[in-house]
Amino acid sequence: MKTLKPAVAAAALLLCGCSSLQNLDVSSMTGGRVSNEQFQSAVKVGAAVRHSAEDISESEEYYIGRAVAAQIMSRYEPLNDPGLNLYAQKIAQAVAMASDRPSVYRGYHVQVLNSGEVNAFAAPGGFLFVTTGLLKLVRSEDELACVLAHEVAHVAKKHGLKTIKTSRLTAAFAVLGTEAAKNYSSSQVSQLTDAFKGTVDDVVNSLVVNGYSRDKEYEADKFGARYARDANYDPAAMKSFLDRMAQADKAGAGGGMFKTHPAPSKRISELGDLQPSPDFRRSAARERRFKAATVY
Amino acid sequence: MRKSALRIALAAAALGASAAFAATITVLVQQTAVRKRPQFFAPAVATAKLGDSFEADGPDGGWYKTRAGYIHQSAVSAKKVHLSAGSAVGGSATADEVTLAGKGFNSQVESSYKQGTPANFAAVDAMEKRSVPESAVLAFMRAGGLLGKEGSK
Repeated sequence: MKTLKPAVAAAALLLCGCSSLQNLDVSSMTGGRVSNEQFQSAVKVGAAVRHSAEDISESEEYYIGRAVAAQIMSRYEPLNDPGLNLYAQKIAQAVAMASDRPSVYRGYHVQVLNSGEVNAFAAPGGFLFVTTGLLKLVRSEDELACVLAHEVAHVAKKHGLKTIKTSRLTAAFAVLGTEAAKNYSSSQVSQLTDAFKGTVDDVVNSLVVNGYSRDKEYEADKFGARYARDANYDPAAMKSFLDRMAQADKAGAGGGMFKTHPAPSKRISELGDLQPSPDFRRSAARERRFKAATVY
Repeated sequence: MRKSALRIALAAAALGASAAFAATITVLVQQTAVRKRPQFFAPAVATAKLGDSFEADGPDGGWYKTRAGYIHQSAVSAKKVHLSAGSAVGGSATADEVTLAGKGFNSQVESSYKQGTPANFAAVDAMEKRSVPESAVLAFMRAGGLLGKEGSK
């Protein structure tokens, strides 16, 4: 039996709308004689190699996020309070479900950091952080939901990935884009690791040192308020929290979010519609559990 | 034998042509809910896993409609899916394709990266174990007055 030419296999797939590629058993079509490598070469003819943050896959984003999260937790101590961490986790998952990106590769995860610094971070892939210093400024579950929704918005809008220098991705994609898939040499693994390290450093610097651009922060506020509203929290709690941030700012609180974010007063002026959803209602149970979880 | 190969190729083409839906979507996350209605908190009728593919219409308002139910567009891609070639690290994809898990930056790259950094991956592993099932999140929301009994908004 002759080998089915890759071009014939590709043509067949094109005819069937290129659907279900991973479920189509190429070996059954070819007697196992057309390798996946050959097949890939056939289907990628004429297409451009990946080049931008938008081309980073879900799983790649997850691994970038894991490394960024690991770097953050080497700088800030994770708080060992299972009850508070679980409480924040549930709130984050609730607002994430109502977001533009309810599903990330392995889900959203939250960790409270034991730091007096007023800060919160979102690493790519859904790794969210909030400090105890910030929690001391929060007065309700709805405010905490807005804070976490702001961080979810950074993930949903891929703000972290967009801070990665193009040169990092170009280097990584150049290695990944070498002809067809194969076992990479140790030097290629080394090149990938260097690109990965640079990628992680870019994101960490944006989160911890330089901050995102003002436009990205305003976008995260606007969409965060929307996600909180769609989870039936009070979106106006975003404003009440920022009001308290502004007071702390005037009182001389420094560092953390005050350094990496626009002034709270400016953020308030940029907030859009803060009307709650028709299903919104206040809840004594919500107040009680907030007080119980945030006693420290 | 060339005829035989051609017959198989045409059969694959005919199979694809019979689909009634406009697109094929492939799940790119570990798992995602297939919902009864195109709403965030609608009941989940099934769970779709990484690599599952569905014939679908949409997206409309952020949701793809499949025979099984509705899937949010953020969890899937309607682009071509890049096949694995079985390598641990390798894999190339074009801008018109997407890669499934295991390609590019992956666990092997992470292992290599760990060797030269004091980063706290143990804390990340602990953080990931905190994930809460959707049913528990919905119960939490109901208890806090955030959802009606119907479980959807």
